[in-house]
Amino acid sequence: MSTDIKELQDLIAREKNAEEKVSKAKEEAQVILKQAREKAEVALGAIESDPAWEKLKQERNVEIARKKAEIEEEYKRKTSSLEKVAQQNLEKAIARLFEETLRGKL
Amino acid sequence: MSLQALQSEIERKAQEEASSILETARAEAEKIVAEANTKAASIRDERTKAIRREIDAKEKSELAIARMDQKGDLLRVKSGWTNRVYEEAEKRITKMAENAGREYNELLATLTLEAISKMNGSKFILETSPRDKEAFSKMLGTITERASKLKNNKVTLRLETLQTKTLGGVIVSTEDRVQYFNNTLEARLAVASRKVEGAIRQILFGTGETNE
Repeated sequence: MSTDIKELQDLIAREKNAEEKVSKAKEEAQVILKQAREKAEVALGAIESDPAWEKLKQERNVEIARKKAEIEEEYKRKTSSLEKVAQQNLEKAIARLFEETLRGKL
Repeated sequence: MSLQALQSEIERKAQEEASSILETARAEAEKIVAEANTKAASIRDERTKAIRREIDAKEKSELAIARMDQKGDLLRVKSGWTNRVYEEAEKRITKMAENAGREYNELLATLTLEAISKMNGSKFILETSPRDKEAFSKMLGTITERASKLKNNKVTLRLETLQTKTLGGVIVSTEDRVQYFNNTLEARLAVASRKVEGAIRQILFGTGETNE
């Protein structure tokens, strides 16, 4: 084999290697893009099961229950105070109605 | 160009192309992930706002209902006390009528004269319970006299038994029964209850009813 032919064969081999290198780079690029798309899907998919919302809901429900209990307590105090006042004034109220019923106007 | 130079050029170009492909892919990948993160953050933000709005509305409605329920209970308590006043007053009025003392007889006379003063004419029918009829029959002369003075005219009164059950008092009507005046104790209690309802509540629960 002459030197020229060997060099040409070597050139063809290098050309082939270069093509393979580019082809590998393309494959690697596809993998990179696929991984990125998967990462994106994970990021978007995670929204549906975000535990922060459940936590937020639970915290607010606790807060609502506390406020309801406060209202109940407020009205329990009001009722108790009202009962006390009404008991004290009952006789006076009965007397007022009794008097009004029997008051004749000529 | 020598063969060696050509070989180097082929390798350089291949390397350059491969690097460019990978660089572009990495940039694109970064963009995809960044866009996804931005979109996720935006969706998360919107969803959080929506959840907050939903819970705010729930809180508002539940607290309003709770307050309304409590107010309703408080009103029922008040109503209970007001009813107690009416019931107790009715008991006392009944007791007074049953005792039929001098005070009650004077009341019967006053109720009769009040009714007569509100109506035209000079001849009246007094309808009353059998118990009160007995008391009336004893003082009919006095009442007739007082009524005549009141009307500045000679008044005639006729006693009749009321067919319906009553606590006491009297229904006075003109002889032709065109006009009548219901002065039974239950009628008076009902009128008085309506009239002094506000005053009773004020006496019972205090000025301005601040407890509500």
